[in-house]
Amino acid sequence: MSSYKEFLKEKEKIDELYENGYTITHVREDLSGAFLTFERSKLDLKNKEQRKELQILTADARKYFSNLLIANQKKLV
Amino acid sequence: MADLRVNFAGIQSPNPFWLASAPPTNSGYQVQRAFEAGWGGAVWKTLGEPILNVSSRFAGTHFNGQRVAGFNNIELITDRPLEENLKEIYETKKRFSNHAVIASLMVEPKQEKWHEIVKRVQDVGVDGFELNFGCPHGMAERGMGSASGQVPELVEKQTYWAKEAAKVPVIVKLTPNITDITATAYAAVQGGADAISMINTINSLAGVDLDSWNTIPHVAGKGAHGGYCGPAVKPIALNMVAECARHPEINVPISGIGGISTWKDAVEFMLMGAGSVQVCTAAMHHGFSIVEDMIDGLNNYLDSKGIAALDGLIGQSVEKYSDWGNLDLNYKIVARINNDVCINCNKCHIACEDTSHQCIDMLTSENGNAYLEVREEDCVGCNLCSIVCPVDGAIDMVEIPNGEPMTWNERQAAIKLPICNS
Ligand SMILES: Cc1cc2nc3c(=O)[nH]c(=O)nc-3n(C[C@H](O)[C@H](O)[C@H](O)COP(=O)(O)O)c2cc1C
Repeated sequence: MSSYKEFLKEKEKIDELYENGYTITHVREDLSGAFLTFERSKLDLKNKEQRKELQILTADARKYFSNLLIANQKKLV
Repeated sequence: MADLRVNFAGIQSPNPFWLASAPPTNSGYQVQRAFEAGWGGAVWKTLGEPILNVSSRFAGTHFNGQRVAGFNNIELITDRPLEENLKEIYETKKRFSNHAVIASLMVEPKQEKWHEIVKRVQDVGVDGFELNFGCPHGMAERGMGSASGQVPELVEKQTYWAKEAAKVPVIVKLTPNITDITATAYAAVQGGADAISMINTINSLAGVDLDSWNTIPHVAGKGAHGGYCGPAVKPIALNMVAECARHPEINVPISGIGGISTWKDAVEFMLMGAGSVQVCTAAMHHGFSIVEDMIDGLNNYLDSKGIAALDGLIGQSVEKYSDWGNLDLNYKIVARINNDVCINCNKCHIACEDTSHQCIDMLTSENGNAYLEVREEDCVGCNLCSIVCPVDGAIDMVEIPNGEPMTWNERQAAIKLPICNS
Protein backbone atom coordinates (compact mmCIF):
# COMPACT_ATOMS: atom_id res chain seq x y z
CA MET A 1 0.00 0.00 0.00
CA SER A 2 1.19 3.53 -0.67
CA SER A 3 2.65 5.16 2.41
CA TYR A 4 0.35 8.12 1.84
CA LYS A 5 -2.68 5.88 2.18
CA GLU A 6 -1.27 4.38 5.38
CA PHE A 7 -0.82 7.91 6.68
CA LEU A 8 -4.38 8.88 5.71
CA LYS A 9 -5.80 5.92 7.66
CA GLU A 10 -3.93 6.98 10.78
CA LYS A 11 -4.80 10.63 10.26
CA GLU A 12 -8.49 9.74 10.03
CA LYS A 13 -8.32 7.97 13.39
CA ILE A 14 -6.66 10.99 14.99
CA ASP A 15 -9.12 13.42 13.38
CA GLU A 16 -12.07 11.33 14.51
CA LEU A 17 -10.92 11.45 18.11
CA TYR A 18 -10.42 15.20 17.90
CA GLU A 19 -13.89 15.61 16.39
CA ASN A 20 -15.29 13.74 19.37
CA GLY A 21 -13.72 16.13 21.81
CA TYR A 22 -10.53 14.22 22.64
CA THR A 23 -7.10 15.80 22.79
CA ILE A 24 -3.71 14.23 23.19
CA THR A 25 -2.60 14.19 26.81
CA HIS A 26 0.39 11.90 26.68
CA VAL A 27 2.87 10.66 24.11
CA ARG A 28 5.17 7.69 24.55
CA GLU A 29 7.55 6.70 21.77
CA ASP A 30 9.56 3.50 21.47
CA LEU A 31 10.84 1.08 18.84
CA SER A 32 7.27 0.28 17.77
CA GLY A 33 6.22 3.86 17.06
CA ALA A 34 4.22 6.40 19.04
CA PHE A 35 1.56 5.57 21.64
CA LEU A 36 -0.87 8.38 22.15
CA THR A 37 -3.21 8.85 25.05
CA PHE A 38 -6.31 10.90 24.24
CA GLU A 39 -8.59 12.31 26.90
CA ARG A 40 -11.72 14.44 26.88
CA SER A 41 -13.30 16.73 29.36
CA LYS A 42 -14.98 15.16 32.38
CA LEU A 43 -17.66 17.84 32.11
CA ASP A 44 -18.95 16.10 29.02
CA LEU A 45 -21.19 13.78 31.07
CA LYS A 46 -22.92 12.07 28.15
CA ASN A 47 -19.68 10.36 27.22
CA LYS A 48 -18.64 7.65 29.60
CA GLU A 49 -15.34 6.86 28.00
CA GLN A 50 -12.91 9.64 28.76
CA ARG A 51 -9.68 8.03 27.67
CA LYS A 52 -8.44 6.34 24.47
CA GLU A 53 -5.11 4.93 23.31
CA LEU A 54 -3.81 4.98 19.76
CA GLN A 55 -0.65 3.52 18.26
CA ILE A 56 0.79 5.55 15.39
CA LEU A 57 3.13 3.84 12.96
CA THR A 58 3.71 6.15 10.01
CA ALA A 59 6.24 8.97 10.05
CA ASP A 60 3.80 11.43 8.47
CA ALA A 61 1.16 10.71 11.11
CA ARG A 62 3.77 11.25 13.80
CA LYS A 63 4.45 14.66 12.27
CA TYR A 64 0.71 15.27 12.00
CA PHE A 65 -0.12 14.64 15.64
CA SER A 66 2.94 16.66 16.70
CA ASN A 67 1.58 19.65 14.79
CA LEU A 68 -1.81 19.22 16.47
CA LEU A 69 -0.15 18.96 19.84
CA ILE A 70 1.86 22.14 19.34
CA ALA A 71 -1.22 24.01 18.06
CA ASN A 72 -3.13 22.83 21.13
CA GLN A 73 -0.40 23.86 23.50
CA LYS A 74 -0.25 27.28 21.86
CA LYS A 75 -4.00 27.67 22.39
CA LEU A 76 -3.63 26.81 26.07
CA VAL A 77 -0.90 29.37 26.68
CA MET B 1 34.47 45.94 -11.16
CA ALA B 2 34.24 44.89 -7.54
CA ASP B 3 37.03 45.47 -5.06
CA LEU B 4 38.68 42.07 -4.54
CA ARG B 5 41.28 43.20 -2.02
CA VAL B 6 41.36 41.38 1.29
CA ASN B 7 42.65 42.23 4.70
CA PHE B 8 42.88 38.80 6.26
CA ALA B 9 43.71 39.10 9.95
CA GLY B 10 45.97 42.00 9.02
CA ILE B 11 47.51 40.31 5.97
CA GLN B 12 46.81 42.37 2.86
CA SER B 13 46.46 40.84 -0.57
CA PRO B 14 45.15 42.10 -3.91
CA ASN B 15 42.63 39.26 -4.12
CA PRO B 16 41.48 36.33 -1.96
CA PHE B 17 43.16 33.66 -4.09
CA TRP B 18 46.25 32.23 -2.43
CA LEU B 19 48.32 29.21 -3.36
CA ALA B 20 48.33 26.69 -0.52
CA SER B 21 51.57 25.49 1.00
CA ALA B 22 52.53 22.62 -1.34
CA PRO B 23 54.66 21.93 -4.45
CA PRO B 24 53.36 25.06 -6.31
CA THR B 25 54.99 27.25 -3.63
CA ASN B 26 58.23 25.32 -3.29
CA SER B 27 60.54 28.05 -4.62
CA GLY B 28 60.88 31.75 -5.38
CA TYR B 29 60.80 30.99 -9.10
CA GLN B 30 57.37 29.39 -8.77
CA VAL B 31 55.81 31.89 -6.36
CA GLN B 32 56.96 34.86 -8.47
CA ARG B 33 55.50 33.29 -11.62
CA ALA B 34 52.28 32.64 -9.69
CA PHE B 35 52.08 36.30 -8.67
CA GLU B 36 52.69 37.33 -12.28
CA ALA B 37 49.79 35.06 -13.26
CA GLY B 38 47.50 36.86 -10.80
CA TRP B 39 47.55 34.95 -7.49
CA GLY B 40 47.07 37.34 -4.59
CA GLY B 41 49.10 35.40 -2.06
CA ALA B 42 51.16 32.30 -1.48
CA VAL B 43 51.75 30.15 1.54
CA TRP B 44 55.30 28.96 1.11
CA LYS B 45 55.97 25.19 1.10
CA THR B 46 56.34 24.24 4.78
CA LEU B 47 59.70 25.19 6.26
CA GLY B 48 61.37 23.10 8.92
CA GLU B 49 64.36 20.84 9.20
CA PRO B 50 64.87 19.81 5.56
CA ILE B 51 63.54 16.30 4.99
CA LEU B 52 64.23 13.53 2.49
CA ASN B 53 61.48 12.54 0.08
CA VAL B 54 60.67 9.25 -1.65
CA SER B 55 59.86 8.46 -5.24
CA SER B 56 57.08 8.06 -6.25
CA ARG B 57 54.90 10.50 -4.30
CA PHE B 58 51.51 11.16 -5.87
CA ALA B 59 48.44 9.29 -7.09
CA GLY B 60 45.37 10.61 -8.87
CA THR B 61 41.91 9.19 -8.36
CA HIS B 62 40.16 9.30 -11.71
CA PHE B 63 36.45 8.71 -11.72
CA ASN B 64 34.41 7.87 -14.79
CA GLY B 65 36.57 9.87 -17.15
CA GLN B 66 37.10 12.81 -14.79
CA ARG B 67 40.84 12.97 -14.18
CA VAL B 68 42.03 13.95 -10.72
CA ALA B 69 38.68 13.83 -8.99
CA GLY B 70 40.93 13.29 -5.99
CA PHE B 71 44.66 13.51 -5.38
CA ASN B 72 46.84 11.61 -2.94
CA ASN B 73 50.40 12.36 -1.84
CA ILE B 74 53.09 11.03 0.47
CA GLU B 75 55.34 14.06 0.06
CA LEU B 76 56.78 15.70 3.17
CA ILE B 77 57.67 19.33 3.91
CA THR B 78 60.44 21.24 2.10
CA ASP B 79 63.61 19.33 1.32
CA ARG B 80 65.57 22.56 0.80
CA PRO B 81 67.77 24.28 3.41
CA LEU B 82 66.14 27.12 5.30
CA GLU B 83 68.71 29.69 4.08
CA GLU B 84 67.84 29.04 0.43
CA ASN B 85 64.13 29.42 1.11
CA LEU B 86 64.68 32.60 3.12
CA LYS B 87 66.74 34.18 0.38
CA GLU B 88 64.00 33.48 -2.15
CA ILE B 89 61.23 34.67 0.17
CA TYR B 90 63.13 37.94 0.63
CA GLU B 91 63.57 38.39 -3.13
CA THR B 92 59.95 37.52 -3.81
CA LYS B 93 58.65 39.97 -1.23
CA LYS B 94 60.94 42.68 -2.63
CA ARG B 95 59.52 42.18 -6.13
CA PHE B 96 55.91 41.78 -5.03
CA SER B 97 55.46 43.99 -2.00
CA ASN B 98 51.65 44.12 -2.35
CA HIS B 99 51.22 40.38 -2.48
CA ALA B 100 50.84 38.19 0.59
CA VAL B 101 53.78 35.93 1.34
CA ILE B 102 53.04 33.64 4.24
CA ALA B 103 55.55 31.17 5.59
CA SER B 104 54.29 27.76 6.59
CA LEU B 105 56.23 26.32 9.51
CA MET B 106 56.58 22.95 11.16
CA VAL B 107 58.96 21.98 13.93
CA GLU B 108 58.92 19.64 16.90
CA PRO B 109 56.51 20.61 19.68
CA LYS B 110 59.19 22.43 21.72
CA GLN B 111 59.12 26.09 22.67
CA GLU B 112 62.73 26.84 21.67
CA LYS B 113 62.24 25.24 18.24
CA TRP B 114 59.21 27.44 17.54
CA HIS B 115 60.97 30.56 18.75
CA GLU B 116 64.01 29.86 16.61
CA ILE B 117 62.19 29.27 13.32
CA VAL B 118 59.71 32.12 13.80
CA LYS B 119 62.50 34.61 14.47
CA ARG B 120 64.65 33.49 11.57
CA VAL B 121 61.83 33.53 9.04
CA GLN B 122 60.33 36.78 10.27
CA ASP B 123 63.61 38.59 9.65
CA VAL B 124 63.22 38.28 5.86
CA GLY B 125 59.89 40.10 5.91
CA VAL B 126 57.04 37.61 5.59
CA ASP B 127 53.50 38.94 5.96
CA GLY B 128 52.39 36.12 8.23
CA PHE B 129 52.93 32.58 9.39
CA GLU B 130 50.89 29.47 8.91
CA LEU B 131 51.59 26.72 11.43
CA ASN B 132 51.32 23.34 9.76
CA PHE B 133 49.56 21.09 12.28
CA GLY B 134 48.07 19.05 9.51
CA CYS B 135 50.48 17.01 7.43
CA PRO B 136 49.16 13.46 8.03
CA HIS B 137 52.07 11.31 6.87
CA GLY B 138 55.77 11.01 7.59
CA MET B 139 56.11 14.14 9.71
CA ALA B 140 53.34 12.79 11.94
CA GLU B 141 55.43 9.69 12.63
CA ARG B 142 58.02 12.11 14.03
CA GLY B 143 55.47 13.74 16.35
CA MET B 144 54.83 16.76 14.09
CA GLY B 145 52.05 17.77 11.68
CA SER B 146 48.74 16.06 12.33
CA ALA B 147 50.19 14.06 15.26
CA SER B 148 50.39 17.27 17.24
CA GLY B 149 47.46 18.85 15.42
CA GLN B 150 45.10 16.18 16.74
CA VAL B 151 45.79 17.07 20.36
CA PRO B 152 44.07 20.32 21.38
CA GLU B 153 46.57 20.98 24.22
CA LEU B 154 49.50 20.74 21.79
CA VAL B 155 47.76 23.00 19.28
CA GLU B 156 47.19 25.60 21.95
CA LYS B 157 50.71 25.38 23.36
CA GLN B 158 52.49 25.52 20.02
CA THR B 159 50.34 28.39 18.83
CA TYR B 160 51.20 30.21 22.02
CA TRP B 161 54.93 29.59 21.51
CA ALA B 162 54.80 30.80 17.92
CA LYS B 163 52.86 33.87 18.99
CA GLU B 164 55.43 34.63 21.70
CA ALA B 165 58.01 35.23 18.99
CA ALA B 166 55.86 36.41 16.07
CA LYS B 167 55.43 40.07 15.15
CA VAL B 168 53.21 39.25 12.16
CA PRO B 169 49.84 37.42 12.15
CA VAL B 170 49.82 33.71 12.88
CA ILE B 171 47.41 31.41 11.04
CA VAL B 172 46.95 27.89 12.41
CA LYS B 173 46.37 25.26 9.70
CA LEU B 174 44.24 22.43 11.00
CA THR B 175 44.08 18.76 10.19
CA PRO B 176 40.78 17.22 9.08
CA ASN B 177 41.90 13.89 10.56
CA ILE B 178 39.94 14.51 13.73
CA THR B 179 36.33 13.88 14.75
CA ASP B 180 35.47 17.47 15.63
CA ILE B 181 37.63 20.16 14.05
CA THR B 182 36.10 22.86 16.25
CA ALA B 183 37.96 21.33 19.22
CA THR B 184 41.37 22.08 17.70
CA ALA B 185 40.16 25.34 16.14
CA TYR B 186 39.10 26.48 19.59
CA ALA B 187 42.46 25.39 21.01
CA ALA B 188 44.21 27.50 18.37
CA VAL B 189 42.10 30.51 19.34
CA GLN B 190 42.94 29.90 23.00
CA GLY B 191 46.61 29.82 22.05
CA GLY B 192 46.25 33.27 20.50
CA ALA B 193 45.92 32.42 16.80
CA ASP B 194 45.10 35.43 14.63
CA ALA B 195 43.36 33.16 12.12
CA ILE B 196 42.84 29.51 11.24
CA SER B 197 43.01 27.69 7.94
CA MET B 198 41.59 24.35 6.88
CA ILE B 199 41.84 21.71 5.62
CA ASN B 200 45.12 19.92 5.21
CA THR B 201 44.94 16.51 3.57
CA ILE B 202 42.83 13.54 4.69
CA ASN B 203 44.45 10.16 5.52
CA SER B 204 44.13 8.00 2.45
CA LEU B 205 45.26 5.08 0.36
CA ALA B 206 44.52 5.89 -3.28
CA GLY B 207 44.25 2.27 -4.46
CA VAL B 208 45.77 -1.16 -4.93
CA ASP B 209 47.11 -2.34 -8.28
CA LEU B 210 45.19 -5.42 -9.38
CA ASP B 211 48.15 -6.96 -11.23
CA SER B 212 51.06 -6.35 -8.87
CA TRP B 213 48.97 -6.01 -5.70
CA ASN B 214 51.14 -3.01 -4.84
CA THR B 215 49.66 0.03 -3.17
CA ILE B 216 49.13 3.17 -5.29
CA PRO B 217 51.49 4.96 -5.08
CA HIS B 218 54.18 2.53 -3.94
CA VAL B 219 57.84 2.89 -3.15
CA ALA B 220 59.74 -0.21 -4.19
CA GLY B 221 56.72 -2.39 -3.47
CA LYS B 222 55.79 -0.78 -0.16
CA GLY B 223 53.19 1.87 0.59
CA ALA B 224 52.25 4.12 3.47
CA HIS B 225 49.11 6.17 4.00
CA GLY B 226 49.06 9.53 2.30
CA GLY B 227 46.98 12.69 2.31
CA TYR B 228 43.91 13.12 0.10
CA CYS B 229 42.87 16.41 -1.48
CA GLY B 230 41.37 17.81 -4.68
CA PRO B 231 37.71 18.13 -5.79
CA ALA B 232 36.61 15.01 -3.87
CA VAL B 233 37.39 16.59 -0.50
CA LYS B 234 35.54 19.87 -1.07
CA PRO B 235 32.34 18.91 0.79
CA ILE B 236 34.37 17.75 3.79
CA ALA B 237 36.42 20.95 3.82
CA LEU B 238 33.37 23.18 3.32
CA ASN B 239 31.61 21.59 6.27
CA MET B 240 34.65 22.06 8.48
CA VAL B 241 34.94 25.73 7.52
CA ALA B 242 31.22 26.21 8.16
CA GLU B 243 31.32 24.43 11.52
CA CYS B 244 34.12 26.72 12.67
CA ALA B 245 32.47 29.82 11.21
CA ARG B 246 29.24 29.23 13.12
CA HIS B 247 30.95 28.31 16.37
CA PRO B 248 30.28 31.14 18.86
CA GLU B 249 33.75 30.94 20.43
CA ILE B 250 35.79 30.73 17.24
CA ASN B 251 35.91 34.37 16.27
CA VAL B 252 38.98 34.58 14.07
CA PRO B 253 39.16 34.77 10.26
CA ILE B 254 39.21 31.46 8.37
CA SER B 255 41.20 30.67 5.25
CA GLY B 256 39.31 27.98 3.30
CA ILE B 257 41.25 25.14 1.67
CA GLY B 258 40.24 21.84 0.12
CA GLY B 259 39.08 21.01 -3.39
CA ILE B 260 38.74 24.61 -4.57
CA SER B 261 39.06 24.50 -8.36
CA THR B 262 36.86 27.29 -9.68
CA TRP B 263 35.57 30.73 -8.70
CA LYS B 264 32.28 29.07 -7.78
CA ASP B 265 33.99 26.83 -5.23
CA ALA B 266 35.72 29.90 -3.85
CA VAL B 267 32.43 31.79 -3.52
CA GLU B 268 30.88 28.87 -1.64
CA PHE B 269 33.76 28.87 0.86
CA MET B 270 33.50 32.64 1.27
CA LEU B 271 29.74 32.48 1.80
CA MET B 272 30.43 29.92 4.52
CA GLY B 273 32.84 32.29 6.24
CA ALA B 274 36.23 32.00 4.51
CA GLY B 275 38.04 35.34 4.32
CA SER B 276 40.54 33.98 1.82
CA VAL B 277 40.86 30.73 -0.12
CA GLN B 278 43.85 28.55 -0.84
CA VAL B 279 44.37 26.22 -3.78
CA CYS B 280 46.78 23.37 -4.38
CA THR B 281 45.45 20.46 -6.47
CA ALA B 282 43.70 22.57 -9.12
CA ALA B 283 46.92 24.52 -9.70
CA MET B 284 48.89 21.26 -9.88
CA HIS B 285 46.37 19.89 -12.39
CA HIS B 286 45.94 22.91 -14.64
CA GLY B 287 48.74 25.38 -13.87
CA PHE B 288 48.89 28.88 -12.41
CA SER B 289 46.75 30.45 -15.16
CA ILE B 290 43.51 29.09 -13.62
CA VAL B 291 43.55 32.12 -11.37
CA GLU B 292 42.55 34.35 -14.30
CA ASP B 293 39.15 32.63 -14.55
CA MET B 294 38.82 32.68 -10.79
CA ILE B 295 39.35 36.46 -10.65
CA ASP B 296 37.07 37.14 -13.64
CA GLY B 297 34.38 34.82 -12.37
CA LEU B 298 34.38 36.29 -8.88
CA ASN B 299 34.33 39.83 -10.28
CA ASN B 300 31.41 39.13 -12.60
CA TYR B 301 29.52 37.33 -9.87
CA LEU B 302 29.93 40.22 -7.44
CA ASP B 303 28.89 42.71 -10.13
CA SER B 304 25.83 40.64 -10.99
CA LYS B 305 24.82 40.66 -7.32
CA GLY B 306 25.57 44.37 -6.93
CA ILE B 307 28.21 43.66 -4.28
CA ALA B 308 31.05 46.19 -4.24
CA ALA B 309 33.57 44.40 -2.02
CA LEU B 310 34.18 40.96 -0.52
CA ASP B 311 32.85 41.99 2.89
CA GLY B 312 29.40 41.83 1.31
CA LEU B 313 29.91 38.14 0.56
CA ILE B 314 32.02 36.64 3.32
CA GLY B 315 29.98 34.70 5.87
CA GLN B 316 26.57 35.45 4.35
CA SER B 317 25.46 31.79 4.45
CA VAL B 318 26.77 30.97 7.92
CA GLU B 319 23.49 31.65 9.72
CA LYS B 320 21.74 29.29 7.31
CA TYR B 321 23.90 26.43 8.62
CA SER B 322 22.48 24.96 11.78
CA ASP B 323 21.86 21.71 13.64
CA TRP B 324 19.56 19.03 12.25
CA GLY B 325 17.22 19.55 15.17
CA ASN B 326 16.47 23.09 13.96
CA LEU B 327 15.29 22.00 10.50
CA ASP B 328 11.60 22.35 9.65
CA LEU B 329 9.96 18.90 9.59
CA ASN B 330 6.92 20.35 7.81
CA TYR B 331 8.86 21.74 4.86
CA LYS B 332 7.90 19.65 1.85
CA ILE B 333 9.24 19.35 -1.65
CA VAL B 334 8.27 16.81 -4.29
CA ALA B 335 9.70 15.75 -7.61
CA ARG B 336 7.98 16.77 -10.82
CA ILE B 337 9.02 15.29 -14.16
CA ASN B 338 8.88 17.52 -17.22
CA ASN B 339 7.78 15.02 -19.83
CA ASP B 340 8.68 17.30 -22.74
CA VAL B 341 12.32 17.31 -21.56
CA CYS B 342 12.53 13.76 -20.15
CA ILE B 343 14.23 11.22 -22.43
CA ASN B 344 12.56 8.23 -20.75
CA CYS B 345 15.80 6.62 -19.70
CA ASN B 346 13.99 5.40 -16.56
CA LYS B 347 16.97 6.04 -14.31
CA CYS B 348 14.75 7.97 -11.91
CA HIS B 349 12.21 5.15 -11.82
CA ILE B 350 14.91 2.56 -11.12
CA ALA B 351 16.53 4.66 -8.42
CA CYS B 352 13.21 5.38 -6.73
CA GLU B 353 11.84 1.85 -7.08
CA ASP B 354 15.01 0.06 -5.93
CA THR B 355 16.47 2.43 -3.39
CA SER B 356 13.97 5.06 -2.34
CA HIS B 357 10.19 5.35 -1.91
CA GLN B 358 8.66 3.65 -4.99
CA CYS B 359 6.74 6.68 -6.16
CA ILE B 360 7.72 7.11 -9.83
CA ASP B 361 5.31 5.21 -12.07
CA MET B 362 6.11 4.06 -15.61
CA LEU B 363 2.92 4.74 -17.57
CA THR B 364 1.68 4.63 -21.15
CA SER B 365 -0.37 7.44 -22.62
CA GLU B 366 -3.52 6.93 -24.69
CA ASN B 367 -1.50 7.20 -27.90
CA GLY B 368 0.94 4.55 -26.75
CA ASN B 369 3.82 6.76 -25.54
CA ALA B 370 5.75 5.72 -22.45
CA TYR B 371 6.06 8.38 -19.78
CA LEU B 372 7.06 8.70 -16.14
CA GLU B 373 5.00 10.32 -13.42
CA VAL B 374 5.62 11.01 -9.75
CA ARG B 375 2.90 10.13 -7.25
CA GLU B 376 3.47 13.33 -5.34
CA GLU B 377 1.65 12.27 -2.20
CA ASP B 378 4.12 9.38 -1.73
CA CYS B 379 7.20 11.42 -2.67
CA VAL B 380 9.36 12.30 0.35
CA GLY B 381 11.40 14.90 -1.59
CA CYS B 382 14.68 13.05 -1.15
CA ASN B 383 16.16 14.51 -4.41
CA LEU B 384 17.53 11.13 -5.56
CA CYS B 385 15.66 11.10 -8.90
CA SER B 386 16.88 14.58 -9.80
CA ILE B 387 20.42 13.64 -8.76
CA VAL B 388 20.57 10.56 -11.01
CA CYS B 389 18.70 12.21 -13.91
CA PRO B 390 21.14 12.80 -16.79
CA VAL B 391 19.11 15.63 -18.39
CA ASP B 392 19.11 19.15 -16.97
CA GLY B 393 15.61 20.45 -16.40
CA ALA B 394 13.88 17.07 -16.74
CA ILE B 395 13.05 16.88 -13.04
CA ASP B 396 12.16 19.85 -10.84
CA MET B 397 11.96 19.65 -7.08
CA VAL B 398 8.92 21.75 -6.22
CA GLU B 399 7.97 23.25 -2.89
CA ILE B 400 4.52 22.31 -1.58
CA PRO B 401 2.95 24.63 1.02
CA ASN B 402 2.61 22.60 4.21
CA GLY B 403 1.63 24.70 7.17
CA GLU B 404 3.55 26.27 10.01
CA PRO B 405 7.18 25.25 10.56
CA MET B 406 7.91 22.63 13.23
CA THR B 407 11.42 21.56 14.11
CA TRP B 408 12.47 18.29 15.74
CA ASN B 409 13.58 20.24 18.80
CA GLU B 410 10.17 21.94 19.07
CA ARG B 411 8.40 18.62 18.60
CA GLN B 412 10.45 16.86 21.26
CA ALA B 413 9.83 19.69 23.68
CA ALA B 414 6.09 19.54 22.93
CA ILE B 415 5.67 15.79 23.46
CA LYS B 416 7.50 15.95 26.77
CA LEU B 417 5.27 18.66 28.22
CA PRO B 418 2.61 17.48 30.68
CA ILE B 419 -0.58 18.23 28.81
CA CYS B 420 -3.61 19.60 30.61
CA ASN B 421 -7.02 18.50 29.36
CA SER B 422 -9.52 20.30 31.50
C1 LIG C 1 51.84 17.14 -2.98
C2 LIG C 1 51.29 17.93 -1.85
C3 LIG C 1 52.16 18.45 -0.91
C4 LIG C 1 51.67 19.21 0.16
N1 LIG C 1 52.53 19.75 1.05
C5 LIG C 1 52.07 20.52 2.06
C6 LIG C 1 52.96 21.18 2.93
O1 LIG C 1 54.17 21.10 2.81
N2 LIG C 1 52.43 21.94 3.92
C7 LIG C 1 51.08 22.09 4.10
O2 LIG C 1 50.64 22.80 5.00
N3 LIG C 1 50.22 21.48 3.26
C8 LIG C 1 50.68 20.70 2.25
N4 LIG C 1 49.80 20.14 1.37
C9 LIG C 1 48.34 20.34 1.57
C10 LIG C 1 47.80 21.53 0.78
O3 LIG C 1 48.37 22.73 1.19
C11 LIG C 1 46.26 21.63 0.94
O4 LIG C 1 45.97 21.83 2.30
C12 LIG C 1 45.52 20.40 0.46
O5 LIG C 1 46.13 19.89 -0.68
C13 LIG C 1 44.05 20.71 0.17
O6 LIG C 1 43.90 21.63 -0.88
P1 LIG C 1 43.53 21.19 -2.40
O7 LIG C 1 42.33 20.31 -2.35
O8 LIG C 1 43.35 22.47 -3.13
O9 LIG C 1 44.72 20.42 -2.90
C14 LIG C 1 50.26 19.40 0.29
C15 LIG C 1 49.41 18.89 -0.68
C16 LIG C 1 49.91 18.17 -1.75
C17 LIG C 1 48.97 17.66 -2.79
